[in-house]
Amino acid sequence: MESLRDIRQNIKAIKSTQQIMQTMKMISSARIRRAQEAMEAARPFAKKMLEMVDDLKQDILAMPQPDEGESWEGRFFVNKTGDPRKIGLLVITGDKGLAGSFNAVILRSVLQFLKEHKDKEIFVFAVGKKGRDFLARLKMPRLHLAYESVGIFPKVSYAHAELLGEAVLKTFFEQKLGSVTLIYNDFKSLASQNLVEQKILPFDFEAIAQDREESDFLFEPGMLEIFKQLVPRLFKANMYRFLLESQAANLAATMNAMDAASKNAGELVTALGVKLNKVRQAGITNEILDIVNGAEALNS
Amino acid sequence: MSKKLTLNLITPEKQLISNREADMVVLPALLGEMGILPGHIKTIVQLGMGSLRYKNDGKEEEFAVLGGFAEVLHNVVNVFAEGADLADEIDEEVEKQKIKAVKESLSRKDADIDFELAEIEIKQAIARMKVKKRHM
Repeated sequence: MESLRDIRQNIKAIKSTQQIMQTMKMISSARIRRAQEAMEAARPFAKKMLEMVDDLKQDILAMPQPDEGESWEGRFFVNKTGDPRKIGLLVITGDKGLAGSFNAVILRSVLQFLKEHKDKEIFVFAVGKKGRDFLARLKMPRLHLAYESVGIFPKVSYAHAELLGEAVLKTFFEQKLGSVTLIYNDFKSLASQNLVEQKILPFDFEAIAQDREESDFLFEPGMLEIFKQLVPRLFKANMYRFLLESQAANLAATMNAMDAASKNAGELVTALGVKLNKVRQAGITNEILDIVNGAEALNS
Repeated sequence: MSKKLTLNLITPEKQLISNREADMVVLPALLGEMGILPGHIKTIVQLGMGSLRYKNDGKEEEFAVLGGFAEVLHNVVNVFAEGADLADEIDEEVEKQKIKAVKESLSRKDADIDFELAEIEIKQAIARMKVKKRHM
């Protein structure tokens, strides 16, 4: 049987762990507010950018394909020229654990994805330490780690999105990938995250439909020039949004996990407290018995 | 015609100007500055690093813009900038320090530096300082 001292020590340890968890919860909830604000602030840019591309849709689709070799436009906008046996996978996870099933859910679906496409060359872009480590440990001959970015959470800035977008686009064109899929956790509410698996390249033009198409724009410098710049920028704005979503989702998950953990710790402490009292009581009872027995022995 | 322009200035990180009236907007287009007046034809312009100004009722405000795009459509000017700062709020000393810090980190060979990021930072600091000088 445990001694009183053991139980007391146990309680103390749990309480101090609980304190740490409560602090972590508090930190996440403070950060989450900032993350949400950043998300809110990034929304107009992405939305307006999308509207602009939407305005130009007609002009883009009517644009003649350039002569030299493979056209980048066709690749961007329509699903044609890439090599379907070469695909890209962008995985956004957190840097740390302690966030419930946040990372596990993503990695499970990554594994599933890799299994489905094991006959293909897969180029992986990993954001977040957990995903990077996981992918680096995998031994698959056709798996290439094309880009990694760790330690950017919880302070994602547009510069990170820019570098990530640049890397993905570069690989997409250089390796002539057929598609790029993104797997990450979307911020749904403070209480829940959504696992999202979606194709981000080539651009699905049909999906951009806001019915405000305009045409006959004046372009400066030229339409083609603008387009070469505009589409990557839209892509990067999207990357930024994904990073921010994932960041907020991660913080929310951490908050919930820590909340649950500190509640559990509280229950444990209560249970141990009851046990402690019982043990103490038993000790006292034993002592009384001893005394009574001793007195009895003397009397007889 | 007393029509006015409506100006929006948006960066990925925040919306700096939202639906503000303006008599005239000057954009830092890639090939030189470009003035926009009410009634301008529908246009899409690529922006370089430079100064964005707008005038409203004789008052002028100036921003340092770090590249991006602008769309002029039905008297609405939407500016999408990679980054933008109000000229009055730019501190030359701070920018100089930034450049110095980046250069220092570049000269330390052992450090794990992102060269692309460093280059962008220096370019942006220089652009900001230019606008500030012009503005004074």
